[in-house]
This record gives sequence, structure tokens and C-alpha cells, in this order.
Amino acid sequence: MLEGAATAPSSGVGGTRTASPQTPLFSARSELSRRYRRRSRAREIVTAYALLTPTLLLLSLVLAYPLAWEVWISLTNFSPLNDGPTAFVGVANYRHLLSTEEFWRSATVTIVYAVVTSAAKLALGIGFALLLARPFRGRALVFLAIFLPWAYPASVSVIGWYWTLSPPIPTAYSVFMGTMKYAVDGAFGGGAWAFLSVILFNIWRGSSFIGVFLLAGINAIPPELFEEALLESKSRWQRFWLVTVPLLKPFIALAIFLSLTTAFADLANVWMLTAGRIVFPVVGTHAYWLAIKGGQYGPAAALSLMLVPVLLATLLVLFRIFDSPEATHA
Amino acid sequence: MAQVLMKDLNKKYDEVHAVKDVNLHIRDKEFVVLVGPSGCGKSTTLRMVAGLEEITSGEISIGERVVNDLPPKDRDIAMVFQNYALYPHMTVYDNMAFGLKMRKFPKAEIAKRVHEAAEILGIQELLKRKPRQLSGGQRQRVAVGRAIVRHPQVFLFDEPLSNLDAKLRVQMRVELKRLHDRLETTAIYVTHDQVEAMTLGDRVVVMKDGWVQQVGEPLELYSKPANRFVAGFIGSPAMNFIEAGIKDGGALWAETAGFRVKIPPDRAERLKSYAGQPVTVGIRPEDLRLATGGDSSDHTFDAVVDVVEPLGSEILLDVKAGSNTMVARVEPTVRVKVHEPIRLALNAERLHFFDKKSEAAI
Repeated sequence: MLEGAATAPSSGVGGTRTASPQTPLFSARSELSRRYRRRSRAREIVTAYALLTPTLLLLSLVLAYPLAWEVWISLTNFSPLNDGPTAFVGVANYRHLLSTEEFWRSATVTIVYAVVTSAAKLALGIGFALLLARPFRGRALVFLAIFLPWAYPASVSVIGWYWTLSPPIPTAYSVFMGTMKYAVDGAFGGGAWAFLSVILFNIWRGSSFIGVFLLAGINAIPPELFEEALLESKSRWQRFWLVTVPLLKPFIALAIFLSLTTAFADLANVWMLTAGRIVFPVVGTHAYWLAIKGGQYGPAAALSLMLVPVLLATLLVLFRIFDSPEATHA
Repeated sequence: MAQVLMKDLNKKYDEVHAVKDVNLHIRDKEFVVLVGPSGCGKSTTLRMVAGLEEITSGEISIGERVVNDLPPKDRDIAMVFQNYALYPHMTVYDNMAFGLKMRKFPKAEIAKRVHEAAEILGIQELLKRKPRQLSGGQRQRVAVGRAIVRHPQVFLFDEPLSNLDAKLRVQMRVELKRLHDRLETTAIYVTHDQVEAMTLGDRVVVMKDGWVQQVGEPLELYSKPANRFVAGFIGSPAMNFIEAGIKDGGALWAETAGFRVKIPPDRAERLKSYAGQPVTVGIRPEDLRLATGGDSSDHTFDAVVDVVEPLGSEILLDVKAGSNTMVARVEPTVRVKVHEPIRLALNAERLHFFDKKSEAAI
């Protein structure tokens, strides 16, 4: 009897099998088993870290090291154009950047670009998701049509867009598009047409992704929640704002965040669509310009690092608003 | 308060004919339970009443109105779902007030009704909580409360207790019954649990494969099942079925290897035409008992005990009589052992007979 009662806590409550049930004296048992438990707990922690090590190594190799290097570069005058040794310059690169007109211009363009495209992608994406959430004849084809822009390689589809907006063969259409380009450039300055194409391309490609993403979100919500809304609410509009949007909040937050980050860090799309003739620089192209074309590694590193706090703040705000702790499913 | 009428109701999906020619008249203030195995069409029928499924053919009216083409919100019904369907982003109060808010009720009226319902259900303390902070039973109460506050013409329940544990289910069952007595609102209740159906329903509709098998009061279904399916579905442990032949030797006998009983004269008339043919004999477990010396050999037979299930208030004996297996529900004082040969007596007045082909009661 005593044997069983005394050993129960050591093997049962602690959840470990290392505690020995063969301890000799009853009075010593609880103290001993506690010590055993503490030791085995320590061993578990060591094991946990051992198991984490490969991941930590990999992450520090591909994330921490480059990031740390970039932070270091942003604090120096490192440049291939520099003859002398690299010198630590403190926050001079940051201060210099903030004083240049190009920085403010690229920052403004980036924010406008990110906000405009994200808003449009979200609106279209929700529309697509709601359209696809209900069964109808030919849904598979519509799904394919909506998802294709995302699945198709950007490098190929970008040429489609380039030719759509600047037709290579003279036709009535090309004359019309020429007139459009003239009008847009006339209103917003040279290069505006090209930048408009960047915005359109981003929306076209991204809205398909957000649509499919939110569709997955809708499918994860129990259908009874929508049916209850159908029984109780008057209009689609009510149902959309009072039921669909709140239930989709966590997915919407993530979609906005993904959309904002890709826009903030965009370089490739802008470069490809404008063939490098950049009149409206975003942070990505400006940093590329500074580093690769200008050899100014320090300022370029500083510029791209300035994105980090902005993105972090956005992330925090988004998840505060959209994914509050109470918003988990019942 | 309203009656619900279903006329020649049908539901066809592409391949499946889910509901077939259902005709039901649910009276005002009545509590009707649709029961049957999964896929029998009971939920589809309910959802057609709610307006969540389109009607393929036939007609549904609630009160005096044909509702076929009315959207769900205009049908004046309230539904309680199996998984509660509470909005996670709203408090209990807001969940309960949701339908009234949508219908633009004045704030004071909403508050009055919500508090009233909360009091009935004993959830006043929970009004400020979010659904995720509630237990399953509490959530189900809130879901019921949300239906009550609307003062609808008809309550629709779609397996509302299935997600609760057994003990809570029994408790909520009683509360629902009490609630219905108090509110006197017409209710249609769908379940696959025959005990729930029997305890809750003023009348019970048994369905199978889209067809209504029988409509009746619980005890009527139990004592006079219309066919073999209803006989086997209602009652637990289920009715025993024995495939036997009818022999006419002056009196009528139902017999098969290891089982032979005399058919009482009042039943003989209808069974006469089955002489020489196979029928299914149905015996409820409680109509079997251990034979005593006084029992006539006309209604007793030998069996061997296979399994003993002592439940406390009763003992279930799984026995074999020839190649037939059956369950007998006997007094808790009975002491028998596995493999022990026993002699069972049956209550011949309460035998059931079913046509072998049509399975209809004879």
C-alpha cells in the first residue's frame, strides 16, 4: 500500500519515467523524488534546446547573419568605391538619407503604392472569395481564371502587361493606348503611365492571391454562422459587415500585411515593367540604385533597414485591430 | 403561434433524392420530432422549412402563409444549430440581441427580452462573456436564448444536444421540454437519437431514406410500429427479430429451428393468409422473461445465455435459441451464468409480425 502511494507522485504527476520507485526509506522519498523530478526537468530543457539547434543554426545563417551585416554596413562608409579602410560613421548614413529629397520622394511613392494596391487588392480579393464561396456551375473554371495571374510566372505575364499598355504593333488600339499614356503622363508627369502599369500589375496579380487566401478563410468558418445570419439579418450588406468581415478578421489582417510587405519591398516588378527607367522610385528601387549603381552601400543598407520598424509597427497595429485575443472561434 | 404544413415535399440534389413526398401537418403549439438515421432526410426537411434549402417540389406553409418563395429572414422562425453557431466576436448579450437588432427593435425592448430569456435559461451572469469563455452546455443555452428572444412562430432545432456529453444532454432535454411547456411555441426538432425523440416529442416522425415511415405519439410508435424499421429503431435495447414460418395445424404457430410459439387467437385471423410463408417475428426485450413452472409450453422456448449485462435496475441477457440471437430484459434479481441453458417465456399478446417482403406490420 505505502509503496504505491508514495511512488505515485513521482511517476504520475511529474509525467516522467526517470524517477525511481525503488527509493529505500519512506521519509526520504518525497524529497528524493522532487530532486529526481527537477533533474529530469533540466534534462528535458537541454534536450529541447538540442533539438532546436539545427533550426537556430539555419536561421542565424540565412537571417541573423545577413541582417546583422546589413545593420553594420548601414553604420559604416563601406563601399567598393572607397580606397581606404572602412570606417564607422554612426548614424550619419541615416541622417544623410533623411536630408535628401530622393528619400522622401521614394518613401512617399512607396506608401502610396502600398496603400493603393493593398486597398484595391483587398476589395477585389474579398469579392473573388465571396463569389467563389458559393457553389455554381463552372466554379472550377472561374477559380482557375482568378488564380491564374498568381500561378503564372511574373516574368512572363509582366511582358503581357507591358505590351497591353505599350502595344508593340501599331493598330487602332496602340493609338488609343498612346493617347492614354499621353494624357496620364501629362496630368501626373512623365513616367506616370509606366508607374500606373506597375500598380495595375500588382493589383491584378495580388488580388488573385488574396482572393484564394480569403476563400480558404471563409471555408474555415462553420457554415451555420452564415446560415444564422441568413435567418436573422435583412440585407447582404448587413451580413457582410456584421458577420463576414468580423469572422474573416484574422485572415484579412494577414492578407493586408502580406500585401503591404510585398509592396514595400517591391523591386522586381517596378524594374521589369519600366525596364529600369525609373521616374517614380520606391524604397526598393532607390536602395538598389544607391547600392548597385551608385556604390553607396551604407546609405542603401540604412534605407532598406528603415522599412523594418515601419513594417513591424504595421504588423502590430493590424493584429491589434483585427486579431484581438477574443476573436477566436467559439 | 402557428401550424406548419408540408404538402408533397420533395428535395432532389443532382444524384440524390433526399426527401420524398413528405406530408406533415404540425399543429399549433405542437412539439414534433423528426428522427431517423443519418441521411434519412430529416435535416433537409427542417432546412427547407427554415429556407436554407430550396424546395424541389411541394409546398410548405407556416401559419396561413405559403413560404416557398420567402427568404429565411421573413419566415418568422428561429433556429438552434448543433454547433450553437454563436458569433465569436460578440458577447452573449449581443449574440442574443443580434436578430432583434437586425430587425430594428427599440433598445429597451431588446434589453427586456434578452434579460427575460436569460432569466428563463439561468444565464444572466454570462451576458457579458464571449462564447469561447462558456462551456458547451452554456453555449447551447445561449443559442436557445437567441431563438427565444425573437418570439418566433416556430422553433427549429437541428440536433441541438448532439455536441453535449451524455449527462448534460439528459439535463438539457428536460429543460427544453419544460421550456416548450412554458412558451407553447410550435417546435420542429431533428435528432438521430430515438430516446430524445420519445422524451421530447408530442408526436414523432420516423424517417428513412427520405420517406416518412410513421407519424405518431411516442408510445404509439413503440407499441404499434408500422413496419420493421420503426420497430427496430424505436426502443433500446432494440426489438428482437426472428425469421420464422407460419404453420397452420389447427392453431397457428410461428416456428423456426429452436423457436416455436403459438400465435394467440386474436392475432391469428390476420396471419392466416401467411400460413406456409415466412414472416418476421418481433419481440421486445422486456416481453421476454425466465420461464416458471406455470408457463404454458405454447409460449416458452429453450435458450443458452451468451452474455450477461447487469445494468443495476435490470439485467440484459444476450441469448441464443437455435440459430436465433436475442436480448431479454430481466429482473435484476435473476442470477444466471454465461453458457447456462435457460427457458424463456414470452408475452404472446405483445408479439409483432412483419411481412418479410414489404416489412410492413401484419
